[in-house]
Amino acid sequence: MSTNKFTEGRLAQAALDRRTFVRGAVATALLAPLGGALAGCAVPSGGSGGGETAAGEMSADNPFGLVEDADVEAVIFNGGYGFDYVEFAADEAKKQFPDVTFEVSPSTQIAQELQPRFVGGNPPDLIDNSGAGSIGFNTIADQLEELDDVFDAPNYEGTTIADTLYPSVKDPGTYNGRFVALNYVMTVYAVWYSASLFDQNGWTAPATWQEAIDLGAEAESAGKKLFVWGKEAATYYQTMALDSAIKEGGDEVRLALENLEPNAWSHDAMQGVLEALHEIVQKGYFVPGGAGTQFTAAQARWSNDQDALLYPSGGWIENEMKDATAADFRMTGFPTPTVSDSPAFPYEAIRAGAGEPFIVPSQGANPAGGKEILRAMLSAEAATNFSETRLAPTIVRGIVPEDGFGSTALVSQTGMLDAAGENIFNYQFVDYYGLNADQLVVWNAFLSGDLDVKGVTDGLQKISDDVAADDSVEKIEVS
Amino acid sequence: MPPATARRPGNGSGPARRRRRRQISFDKASFFAVALFLPLAVYVVFVISPFAQAVYFSMTDWSGFTADMAFVGLDNFARLLGDDKFLRAAMNSALLAVVVPTVTIVIAIAVATMVTVGGATTGGVRGVRGAGFYRVVSFFPYCVPAIVIGLVWAQVYDPSRGLLNGVLTGIGLDGMADFPWLGDTRTAMGASMFVIVWSFVGFYTVLFVAAIKGVPGEIYEAARLDGAGRFRTAVSITVPLIRDNVRTAWIYLGIAAIDSFVYMQAMNPGGGPGYSTFVISQDLYQTAFSKGQFGYATAMGVVLALVTLVFAGAVFLVDRITGGRDDVRGHA
Repeated sequence: MSTNKFTEGRLAQAALDRRTFVRGAVATALLAPLGGALAGCAVPSGGSGGGETAAGEMSADNPFGLVEDADVEAVIFNGGYGFDYVEFAADEAKKQFPDVTFEVSPSTQIAQELQPRFVGGNPPDLIDNSGAGSIGFNTIADQLEELDDVFDAPNYEGTTIADTLYPSVKDPGTYNGRFVALNYVMTVYAVWYSASLFDQNGWTAPATWQEAIDLGAEAESAGKKLFVWGKEAATYYQTMALDSAIKEGGDEVRLALENLEPNAWSHDAMQGVLEALHEIVQKGYFVPGGAGTQFTAAQARWSNDQDALLYPSGGWIENEMKDATAADFRMTGFPTPTVSDSPAFPYEAIRAGAGEPFIVPSQGANPAGGKEILRAMLSAEAATNFSETRLAPTIVRGIVPEDGFGSTALVSQTGMLDAAGENIFNYQFVDYYGLNADQLVVWNAFLSGDLDVKGVTDGLQKISDDVAADDSVEKIEVS
Repeated sequence: MPPATARRPGNGSGPARRRRRRQISFDKASFFAVALFLPLAVYVVFVISPFAQAVYFSMTDWSGFTADMAFVGLDNFARLLGDDKFLRAAMNSALLAVVVPTVTIVIAIAVATMVTVGGATTGGVRGVRGAGFYRVVSFFPYCVPAIVIGLVWAQVYDPSRGLLNGVLTGIGLDGMADFPWLGDTRTAMGASMFVIVWSFVGFYTVLFVAAIKGVPGEIYEAARLDGAGRFRTAVSITVPLIRDNVRTAWIYLGIAAIDSFVYMQAMNPGGGPGYSTFVISQDLYQTAFSKGQFGYATAMGVVLALVTLVFAGAVFLVDRITGGRDDVRGHA
């Protein structure tokens, strides 16, 4: 971006005078690339910056010792969930601490915007480290506050926060044994469809891949396709494939993938899923051209045009497509189909995990203030506000009422969580090692029909193998 | 002042000269301070020193999110040589550097010729009818920011809802229905290059028009009297006479093409099918901000800068070898 502006600016100026232009060309030729390529690098200032951490008196009402007149700054990823739900929580906290100033600001480029502040030692007190431009946890984990005391603190209703949450919500935010990222939103991964469309046509949600293929044939006779994909979201089908394979083969499949083992992608369960998907591709049950389609445009062909019956995604899909969903769509989710009738985990098993990681940098001016906003977010008022306005469950249990605030998708998410019971699993290797960008290329090719099952297996295995062989990447052992 | 001026003729004596020199040196001093040293200081602080720092960072393992870094010498550069993804990106950038300037300049010269000297062959030398209109229209794309161009064209190329496939199927090419222009390894790079060329042609047309206007009309009249057609005139008269502009355009376009970040990121943020549109600047961005390897990313930046320098040098060399030193106009 900067290179372009720079070059254009010079051009416009220089064009006024031909002699200057020609002479300037040499200089510019030397400088423009350097400017563009290197300007993005911020300069470390020696890290002596802000970091005076203030401490106030700790008490039951003030579990983190927030100073009475502190200034607290939060930078929140402004994506699918917006950022005003944190403002709401900050207002709740303000009621408890009237003299504290809370400032909540949005960002869509967390890493780019906050990188210089981490280097300078004056990061904000609370960050929602999410989105495509998030900061890799392997680079900042040791600069973050441990957040166990947030879960041990009472919420604004007086109950200990830990007692109000879904199980194992600490896991996704724990790196090398330190719980440093509080993942706020409970995300359920499922396959989504329009209940009204299915009712009209007498279709049912497929429980196995064979049923899915049969449904594809019926869709075809109705002039529709089974699936649709977009180029930036081709790996949603990887998520679906992983979920199905883990349900089929059990924990051994999951652990092999998480620990980047050789041949992890060649496991029978995974191969079964890939073969089924390949058959669906070969039969032409995918809306063609996904590798060249922007993903929200592709999703609209499912939610608005109803050209495709099914779409695999996380629970954010309803909120994301709110403005591009057909009337009376009645978005509903069902667990990923299984390979056989007798999978290791029951059909009801789902992948669900806490997402949207909030972090409190240790070098911030007021880490206690960051934690106080988190405490407010985990209290009933703010958690209800989030679920009601964003139509997604938080990690706080018992907030979503029977009618799901009028959202069928939210009802089916809580329904799936309840039906799964103990059979909830999650995996992190894709995000932790940042594999998605490379896997996207392989999945776009596979869904386009350019790769067969062996091709996609080899491509994905190579991505895992490369990371496994790279000594500079710190590995997490999953068991 | 008046006395000094009055005394000057025939009186080159000491005091007057000293005084004059002192005045001028004050002028000079203030002139240098404002026009030279100040910009130079700004330049050193904001341009040279970041470059120097960047070269240093490229030899460290800096993550980008701490103030600590270890010096690792040339390890990052050695790693680049074995990095398949980076080499692929470098190949793509090189391809862009060759194709984009060539195509853009050929089209721009053709259009510039037509709107200035390619008109009717009777009467005075002039452009085709409606030349002013074509000049304005061809400049339009340059007024649109690159990011907007990228996003708009991504929609034009959309397989099912895009304008392009709509037109193609509309004229009976049903095989083009749902064809993913940006999602097929055979077409993604070509389609992306087209957009970049499209966005630059207008500006370079205007540039060449200005250059051609600087050529005396008599030369064209003489060529016409000697029986030269439009193509011959363009190749033998126009191009040699605006050679400096062409060379400069080549360098600017090459720099823009080697970078290409905005266009590629807007049309195929993931690097395109099979990384066919992945360029160095995208690799740099991903490595720095997604992977948190600023040291390694800076090494990519240094290589990118070197590649660009080599490109600029190559253009000058080719220009010189092909006789660019002879100033055609001097003999004209």
